[in-house]
Amino acid sequence: MPPRSADLARCPHCGAAVEGPEDAFCCNGCEAAYAIIRGAGLERYYRERETWAPRPEPGSGGWEAVPVETGDDGTCAVRLQVDGLRCASCVWVTEHVLQRRPGVEEAHVSYATGRATLRWRPEETELAELADTIQALGYRPRLLGEEARPDRSLLVRLGVATFAALNVMLLSASLYAGWLGGMEERFRLLFQWASLALATPVALWAASPFFVGAWSGLRRGFLHMDLPISLAVAVLYGHGVVVTFTGSGDAYLDSLTMLVALLLAGRVLEGHGRRRAAEAATSLAATLPSTGRRFLPDGGTETVPSSELTAGDRVAVGAGEEFPADGVVVAGSGSVRTALLTGESRPVEVETGQRVYGGTYLVDGAVEVQVTAAGEESTVARMAGGLRDAADSPGRPTSADRIAPWFTAGTLVAATVTLLGWGLTAGWESALTATVAVLVVACPCALALSHPLAAAAGLGAAARRGLLLRSPDPLLAMASVDAVALDKTGTVTEGTLEVLEADDATLRIAAGLERFSRHPVALAVVREAVRRRIPLPKARRVREQPGQGIGGEVDGKEWHLGAAGPGTVALEGPGGRVGIIRLGDQIRSDAPEAVAALEALGLGVHLLTGDHRDVAERVARETGIGHWQAEMSPDEKAAQVRGRREAGERVLFAGDGLNDGPALSEADVGVAFGTGAASSILVADGVVGLPSLSPVLAGIRAGRAAQRVIFVNQLRSIVYNVAAVGLAAAGWVNPLVAAILMPLSSGLVIAGAAGVEGRVQRMEGGSGGPTRKPTTVDRASQGAVGGAGIEPDPGAHGMGGSNEASDPGKRDAGKGDPGKHDHGENDPGKGDPGEEAA
Amino acid sequence: MNALVWLIPVAIGLGAVFVFLFLSAVKSGQFDDLEDPPRRILHDDD
Repeated sequence: MPPRSADLARCPHCGAAVEGPEDAFCCNGCEAAYAIIRGAGLERYYRERETWAPRPEPGSGGWEAVPVETGDDGTCAVRLQVDGLRCASCVWVTEHVLQRRPGVEEAHVSYATGRATLRWRPEETELAELADTIQALGYRPRLLGEEARPDRSLLVRLGVATFAALNVMLLSASLYAGWLGGMEERFRLLFQWASLALATPVALWAASPFFVGAWSGLRRGFLHMDLPISLAVAVLYGHGVVVTFTGSGDAYLDSLTMLVALLLAGRVLEGHGRRRAAEAATSLAATLPSTGRRFLPDGGTETVPSSELTAGDRVAVGAGEEFPADGVVVAGSGSVRTALLTGESRPVEVETGQRVYGGTYLVDGAVEVQVTAAGEESTVARMAGGLRDAADSPGRPTSADRIAPWFTAGTLVAATVTLLGWGLTAGWESALTATVAVLVVACPCALALSHPLAAAAGLGAAARRGLLLRSPDPLLAMASVDAVALDKTGTVTEGTLEVLEADDATLRIAAGLERFSRHPVALAVVREAVRRRIPLPKARRVREQPGQGIGGEVDGKEWHLGAAGPGTVALEGPGGRVGIIRLGDQIRSDAPEAVAALEALGLGVHLLTGDHRDVAERVARETGIGHWQAEMSPDEKAAQVRGRREAGERVLFAGDGLNDGPALSEADVGVAFGTGAASSILVADGVVGLPSLSPVLAGIRAGRAAQRVIFVNQLRSIVYNVAAVGLAAAGWVNPLVAAILMPLSSGLVIAGAAGVEGRVQRMEGGSGGPTRKPTTVDRASQGAVGGAGIEPDPGAHGMGGSNEASDPGKRDAGKGDPGKHDHGENDPGKGDPGEEAA
Repeated sequence: MNALVWLIPVAIGLGAVFVFLFLSAVKSGQFDDLEDPPRRILHDDD
């Protein structure tokens, strides 16, 4: 339980200090949430939670108009993404409050992803009531679309193949024993036929993904790794059928089934990464609000599902609501939080004539918007579609696929040579036996496993350290990067505003005024007041004006808090200015350590920022980054990355905003931050799910470890195949030898892949790099994709990253304009220009 | 030794029963989410 102090009244729900016993709760929202939780008999939550609860805010509403179908059993069901869940207790209390609502049949919230499944009886309750309950608890529900069912068929195939493989192995062991001790004919027949019966579904059904892969590769004109595998499966099974029916020799059915089972296991591991990307797409697609308020011809409004909006409709959007579609403001003004698109947490002012995007959030004001693109056509939906397509498209050919044609050709040559060599010298019957043996042991089982298994182990090692990668390709690309270019805000720095300097009296009044505001400055001020245990005073008649700051009455006096220069807000009382608050962006605590470790790996580290020179210089100095460039536009960052690539370097770029998009896609590997803009996550190859820089370092280490293991494994398996083909061509391979050799080579490859984690740990130990407790990392990494799920950092609640936060005083600054600090000059500052351009 | 003639099919049949159980477990979705249930077990005590 969070600390409590006797001399301080704390809001029992969110933990903010408040003045006076009558102000036990800091706001009505907290009181209502407390009442809901107590009413459901779940007080246990307050004893067991790990962090304070978020302060509930009013939601967009409009859930009444969400179309819900009633199922055959008379119940309704929806899937929701619940944002803002901070800890396991949050999930627990949300789930149990919902379960105890009358009429709810089923309520299930995932601890891993924050997804909720709800089923209820429509005659007793309705979706709006349930969604409002979630909102009242301080979390934000979003409607999720249908999710693609996970592919279970691969798992079924694996189950059947494993069962068959183990049984055939047992039967074959008896047959091999029979070679030594003799065996009655009828038992031999029984064992052989039983083996064939077990192997048949494996060869004809369980192995079909390999046939399909080989065939589709052939049709597209390239020799896939599945081709030699299919060839081996076909030869093994065909040979098994012939010898069993004719009773004329020994089959390799144990090798066949074991091989298919091992290969399918590799496929199952590979499949996990793809599912993650698909889940990220669903989360993002859900960011359009489910309903909008459309104007009727008579001037009134009706609430309609946002999917029913079309271009030309006019919709009303009020403070605290999300835009239901892309459009142009035709009346009114307000400030919009565009974190979804830009990663910028500071609101942007909009007025008549300006474009707004569906899914962004109107912080204050009220506007009327003419819709230009809705539903599937909206920017957010198209971005999500792009991600889904990327997840569905087949990956780039792996190094194993590049070897495959040579492998196939080599196998066929060896088989031909064996057939002719034996046929011409020792007769065609022994030639056939030897040729089959060659084709059998040439099966690149170990080679096919070497890449996916080591890559999956590397992806897992990176994910445990907070870096989620979309596919194995960027992981392996990370292994060979020469330079790491870092954005400043939200990458090297925390990206959130923090109070750097303020006296307690000023902070107290300011926190009172800002208590109910969602502005980033307000959040920083209230957070700092809570941290210093300053009780929040009660404010009256608070007015927040976009771009003008905030005013109101505290302690019976009139105050105003507004911008006063870069990074500063000033508090003015009845007698003039009483104090100032300096705000700024803090450098991530692990940044110096991570930078040093990157340089120890021999990589050049560069800071590329759009921010002012003096800020860039300070950050570079404090983190030990040798090269820095300030006041860069997005295109200049991309050009810088491109220049380095053209000079032959491989570049990793890490950044968090829309303005980093060009550089992220230009780089060999782009890494975005999960707290940043969804758009940057889309163009990036990977996402950091922790408020920390070290996952980037961990990814490079995991990539190097995986690449090393893949190289060793491929070497091992090729040596094995060449040696085994030699033995088979010499006539020394029979089913028993094959049954020992083939699993042995695959076993070596699997053992090698299991060593990836150990290699990464040795690298960490060697340089004393930053490590974290796996439990924390694990929890945080789950929710990070698409910015959804359980938030790793309570302070980040409801906030995206914020760019260029060193200038927080101006509420109205054109923060959506990434080129703001681009004065048309590319000043590399004090760094040596020649060095920078290298 | 003659017992083998029927013991082998019986053994395979028993194995097949477990394969069937595994398949029904997969079909009922028990392998769809391997991340949530292990966390849930720490909280569900009522």
